[in-house]
Amino acid sequence: MNSPNELKEITRFLLEYANRLMGSGVHTSRVIRNTRRIGKSLDVDVKMSLFQKTMVVSVCDIDSTEVYNEVAIIPAFPISFELNAELSALSWEAYDNHLPLDTLWEKYEKIIARPKMDPLCTLFLVGFANASFCALFGGDWTARLIVFSATLIGFYVKQIMQKKKINHYLVFIVSAFIASMVASSALTLETTAEIAIATSVLYLVPGVPLLNGVIDIVEGHVLTGCTRLIQALLLVLCISVGLSCTLMLIRNSLL
Amino acid sequence: MEVFWKTIAQYNEGTWIAQIVITVVGILLTILLYQKPTLLVKRLMKGYMVFLNSWISIVYYMIYCGDRNYNYILAIFWGIIALIWLWDLITNYTPFERYHKYDKLTYILYAMPFLYPLLSWARGMEFPMMTTCVMPCSVAVFTIGLLLAFSRKVNLLVILFLCHWALIAFSKVYVYKIPEDLLLASATVPAIYLFFKNYFDQNLHKETKPSAKYTNWILIALCLAIGIFLSITIFHELAG
Amino acid sequence: MMLVDILTDGIFAAVAAIGFGAISDPPLRAFPSIALLAAIGHALRFCLMTYLGVDIATASLCASFSIGMGSLVLGKRIYCPMTVLYIPALLPMIPGMYAYKIVFSLIMFMQNLKVPELQEKYLIDLFTNSIITCSVIFMLAVGATIPLFLFIKRAFSMTRHEKK
Repeated sequence: MNSPNELKEITRFLLEYANRLMGSGVHTSRVIRNTRRIGKSLDVDVKMSLFQKTMVVSVCDIDSTEVYNEVAIIPAFPISFELNAELSALSWEAYDNHLPLDTLWEKYEKIIARPKMDPLCTLFLVGFANASFCALFGGDWTARLIVFSATLIGFYVKQIMQKKKINHYLVFIVSAFIASMVASSALTLETTAEIAIATSVLYLVPGVPLLNGVIDIVEGHVLTGCTRLIQALLLVLCISVGLSCTLMLIRNSLL
Repeated sequence: MEVFWKTIAQYNEGTWIAQIVITVVGILLTILLYQKPTLLVKRLMKGYMVFLNSWISIVYYMIYCGDRNYNYILAIFWGIIALIWLWDLITNYTPFERYHKYDKLTYILYAMPFLYPLLSWARGMEFPMMTTCVMPCSVAVFTIGLLLAFSRKVNLLVILFLCHWALIAFSKVYVYKIPEDLLLASATVPAIYLFFKNYFDQNLHKETKPSAKYTNWILIALCLAIGIFLSITIFHELAG
Repeated sequence: MMLVDILTDGIFAAVAAIGFGAISDPPLRAFPSIALLAAIGHALRFCLMTYLGVDIATASLCASFSIGMGSLVLGKRIYCPMTVLYIPALLPMIPGMYAYKIVFSLIMFMQNLKVPELQEKYLIDLFTNSIITCSVIFMLAVGATIPLFLFIKRAFSMTRHEKK
C-alpha cells in the first residue's frame, strides 16, 4: 500500500521514464509494456494514453484503489536504441528484484548519462554506409567515392545545423541540397553520375520512424503510428525539395 | 581533353598579370600571418580566401572555362567554399592559432603550388598551356597547408570540401592526363588524418562511445585504404 | 560468380546497416548482430529478386521475416530487444529512392498541367512509386514483427536477465 505522496512520486518517475522512451523513438506498445511492468513491481496499476506530443498517465494503487493522474508533454530526444535496450532491461530488473524507487531513479540517471555515439565516428560510418548504398544501386568506384565525400559534407552540415537547433525541416532541405549539389560534381567525370546524385541524399531518409509507424499500426496503436508515418513523410518531402533544387539548378529538369 | 587545355591556355593568357598579383599578395599575407598575427591580419587573410575562392569560381570557371561541360557546377562548388569563408570572416570562427606539430608537412604543402608549374614545365609543356599558381588545385593545396599550420581549431567544413575537390581532381588524372593533380591527392591524405586526429585528441579526456582508441583505428584504416588506392593509381600511371 | 555477387551484396548491406544504424545510437554490443542480420536479409532479397524473379514486396517480406527470426535468436544472447536489432538491419532495404520519386512525379505532374500525354506518364509514375514504397515499407515492418506474435513470451522477455 502506497501513501498518496508515494503514489505521486511513483507517477513522477513513471512519467519521466515513459517520456524518455517515447521521445527516443521506441514503438508505443513497448513503452506501455515497460511502464506497466515497472508499475507492477511498485504495486500500482498503470494505464496510459499516448499521443505524439503528450501522454496521460493514470496510476492506481492496487490495494487502496486510489488514483493519481498526470499529463506530460513529450519532449523530442534524438533516437537512441541504446536507451531502448537499457531501459527495457531496467524494467525487467525492477520487476524481478522489486527495486525501491530511489534505486530506480539512481539507475535511470546512470543510464541516460551514458555517452552517445561520437559524432565524428558516426559521420564516417554514415559516409561508408551511403557509399555502399551507391554500390548496391550499381554505381561504379568513382561514383562511390563521390557519394562518400558528398555524404560526409551533407551529414556534417546536418550535424552543425542540428547543434544550432534550427527547425529540422529546414535542416533536411539544406543538407539534401548540399549533399546532392556536391555529388553532382560527378557529372564532370565519366562515371555513373545519375546514381551518385540520387543516392547521395539517401542517408537522410527517416527509416526508423517509418518502420516504427508501421509497427505501431500493426500492433493496434493506429493513431501514434499514423502520426509517425506522416512526420516521416514530411521529412521525405523535404529531402525531395532539396534534391529538386539541385536538379533544377544543374539540368533544368527533374528526372 | 583538347578543350581542357585550351581553356587553361586562354585563362593564363588573359589573366597572367592578375595571377602574379594574387600570388604575391598571398605570399605577403602568409608571411604577415606568421610574423604579426593580429586580428586585422587574420581578417585580411580570410578576406583574401573569400576573394581567392570567388576568383576561381567566377573568373576561372564561369568566364574562361565556359567551353567545358558542366562548368557551372564547379563554379557553384567553389562559390560555396567562398561563402563558407565569408561566414567564417563574419563570425570569426577560425582563430588562426599556430600549431607547431606538423610544420614539416606544412612547408611541403606550401611548396606545392610552385611545384605545380615546375612539374608541368618538366613534362615539356609551355606557357600558356600549363598549370600555374592560381588554379583550383593549387588553391586547395595552399588552403590545406595554411589550415594545417594553424590547426588548433579549424573549420572542418572547408577541409571536407577540399577533400571532395581532391577526389574530383584525382579522378581527373585518368580523364585529362594531368599527373600534377596526383600531388594534391597524395598531400591531402596525411592532412585529413592529422586534422581528424587533432579533433579526437581534443576529445580524449571525455568518455566517448566507442572509445577514442577505436575511433583512431577506424581513422587509420580509412587513411590506409585511401593511401593504398592512391598508390595503385600512381603505379598504374607510371606503368602505363 | 553468383556467389561473389551474393557475398558483395551482403557485405555492402552490412556496411550500410552499421552506418545508418549508427545515426540512431544502438548499443555497441549490438553492431555485429546488426551487420550479420542485414547481410543475410539483403542477400536473401537479392537472390529472390534476381535469380527467382520474385517481386520486390514479397522478397522484402521473406527477407524481413528472416531478419525478425534472427533478431529473436541473437537478441536473447546480448540482452537487446528485437527492435534494437531488426530496425537497423532493415534500414538498407527502406525504399528511399522510390519514396522521393513519388514527390518528383508529383512536381512534374503539376508542371505539365497543359500536356495530357506527359500528365498520363507522370500519373502512372506517381502510382507505381507510391505503391512500391508503401507495400515494401509495410512488408518490411510486418515481416519483422511476425516472430514477435509467434513467440510472444520469448520476444517480450529478451532483456530479462536469468534469475540467479
